Amino acid sequence: METRIIKKENLAGIVKKLSEDMLVYAPVQEEDNVLFKVLEKGMEPLIEFDNAKNAPKNFFFPQTETMMRYLKGERGEELTDVPEEMQEAVLFGVRPCDARSFVLLDNVFNDSKYRDPYYAERREKTTIVSFACVEPPYTTCFCTSVDGHPFSTEGIDISLVDLGDEFLAEFLTPKGESLLVRLGELPKADEASMSKKEALSGEAADKIKSKVPGRSIKPWLDENFEHPFWDTIHQSCLACGTCTYLCPTCHCFDITDEIKKEEGKRIRSWDSCMYWLFTMETSGHNPRPSQKERWRQRLMHKFKYFVDNFDAIACVGCGRCVMYCPVNIDIRKIVQDISKL
Amino acid sequence: MQRNPYVPIPVDVAKIVTEVTTKDIKTFRLTFVNKEDEEQFKYLPGQFAELSIFGKGESPIGIASSPTQQGYIEFTVQKAGVVTSELHSIEEGTRMGVRGPLGNTWPIEYLEGKNIVVVGGGFAFTTLRSLIHYMLYEENRSKFGNITVVYGAREPGLLIYKEELALWEKRDDINLNVTVDKGDATWKGREGFVPAVCKDVAPSSENAVAVICGPPVMIRFTLPEFFNLGFSKENIYTSLEMRMKCGIGKCGRCNVGSKYVCKDGPVFSLAELDQLTKEY
Repeated sequence: METRIIKKENLAGIVKKLSEDMLVYAPVQEEDNVLFKVLEKGMEPLIEFDNAKNAPKNFFFPQTETMMRYLKGERGEELTDVPEEMQEAVLFGVRPCDARSFVLLDNVFNDSKYRDPYYAERREKTTIVSFACVEPPYTTCFCTSVDGHPFSTEGIDISLVDLGDEFLAEFLTPKGESLLVRLGELPKADEASMSKKEALSGEAADKIKSKVPGRSIKPWLDENFEHPFWDTIHQSCLACGTCTYLCPTCHCFDITDEIKKEEGKRIRSWDSCMYWLFTMETSGHNPRPSQKERWRQRLMHKFKYFVDNFDAIACVGCGRCVMYCPVNIDIRKIVQDISKL
Repeated sequence: MQRNPYVPIPVDVAKIVTEVTTKDIKTFRLTFVNKEDEEQFKYLPGQFAELSIFGKGESPIGIASSPTQQGYIEFTVQKAGVVTSELHSIEEGTRMGVRGPLGNTWPIEYLEGKNIVVVGGGFAFTTLRSLIHYMLYEENRSKFGNITVVYGAREPGLLIYKEELALWEKRDDINLNVTVDKGDATWKGREGFVPAVCKDVAPSSENAVAVICGPPVMIRFTLPEFFNLGFSKENIYTSLEMRMKCGIGKCGRCNVGSKYVCKDGPVFSLAELDQLTKEY
C-alpha cells in the first residue's frame, strides 16, 4: 500500500485541479447545507465539514435518472438510446459510514445474475476518497453499533486522515493507486504518521457514545413479525419519506414513463417503503395497508431481511434519519426498545 | 457483457384473442423481432415477464404459452390498470416490448415422475395452461404420471382458452374437469365451486403434487380439500402476485419477508410460504 502526506492547505487545490480532467463529486457549501455536488470549473471542495446532508449514493444511484429514451416510430414507440456510458470520476470527501453503504448497495445492484448497468458502470469508473472521522461529527453517529468504525476503509480507495497540519493519504486499492500519478509530487508518509493514525483511530471509536445493539435484535425480529410493539413506532410518522431519501443504504425505486411531444423517456426515481402507493396493487389490495406495516418493513429490511440475504445490516449508523425526521422518530431508540423486549 | 436487464426486448403483437364475453381478458401472441432474442428467451412454465409499452410503463404478467410452443410467446391479460388498458386498445401488428423471462418456475424436475393435479380458478389459469401444454407435449408426456385438471370460472362466458379445453377434453391422457359456478341455457358441463369439484374428483395424493392458482377465496376453500386428500404442504404449489417494477429484486417493493416474489418466486410451495410472513 502506498502512503503519502498531503499538506492541509494544498488538498482543496489538488482536488480542484483533478476536477479539470475528471468528474469530481464532492461536498460543497450551499447556503446552510453541505451537499455533495459535481465540482464545476473553479470550484473547490470542502475540506473541513461534518458530513453532507445528502448521502453520496446519489452519485451512483441518482434520485432521478433516464434509463432509456424512445421516439414515436411507425408501429409504435421505438427505443433510441440507452445511456449506460460513464466517464471516470472521483467521489471525494466521503465519510467511512457512507463509503460502507456502497459495499452494501453492491449486493443489490451488482449481483451476478442481474447486474444493474447504470449503478455498476458508475461504481467501476469511480475512485472513492474518504475522510476518516478523527472527530466523529455528530452525537447521533452510531457506526460502531452496526459493524462500522470511524476509520473503516470498507468501500474506500483512498483514505485521508487528518493528522493536524497535514493529511495522511493511504492508497488502499489499485484504483486508488492509479490516481496517485495525477496528484503531483507528494512525500511518502513515515512511521510516525502511521502510528499517529493508529492512535487517532482508537480514540475516534471511543468518542462514539451512541450505542445500539444493532446485531443482537435479529433473533427477536426473526420470531416477532406479529407483536404489539409494532403498533407503537409508527404512530407519529408522517410518511414523509425523509428517512429513506437521506438514508445511504435505502435503494427502493420506481420506474415511470414520461413523454413530451414525440420524445419519451423511461425514468428511474427513488421511491420509499414509507409511502402507501409503494405496494398498492391495481386491484386495490395493499399488502402493507397502514403505516404500521410500512414501518415494520423498513426496520425489518434493515435489521433482518438484509441480514438474511447478505449477512449485513442495511444501516451504516450515519444518523441522518435521526437528525432530520420531522417528528423525532429515532431508529436507535427503536432498536434499543426492541432489545429490551 | 450482460444484457441491460431493464431494456425491453422488441416484439410484435402477432395475434390477439378476446377470451371472455366481458371482453376484458385477452391473450396476446408476441413474436420476436430479432431471432437472437427468441433464442435467448429460454423459459419454463411458471415464469413471468414485464410487458412494456413505451409511454405507459410495464406490467408483470405470467407467461401463458409453453416453451414447447415455438416461435412465439403468449400472455393472457386482464384489463385493469394503465398498461393493461393500453394493451387492450392496441391492434395486431403493434410493436411493443418484453422483459424476461423473470422469476422461478413450476418445479418441473420435481414434478417429473409424479401424478399432477392442476387446479385453476378464473383468469388465474395462465401459467397453469403453460404447464399443461408443457406436460402434454409429445416428448414430455411420458415423464409425468396422471394429469388431473380442475378448472372453474364464475360462468361459461368467463372460461378462458375454450378451444384448448375442448381439445384436452377429447384426450385420454388428461383428466379434465371444467366447472362453472352457475351455468346458462347452453351449458352442458359441470356446475359447482372449485373446492367442491376437487372434493368430488378426489385425486389421490399418492406420489402426487398439486399446483393451485386462483382467487384467494378459492384457494382458501380448496386447500382444506387437498389436506383431507392427504396432500402435504411440500406437495402443494402456488404462485404469488405483488406490485412489481424492476422484476429483478432491486426496486424493493415485492418482498414477502426476506424473499422477493419477482426473484425468489413467484412459485412457492405451501411449506415455503409457511416460512414467510403473511404479508401478501
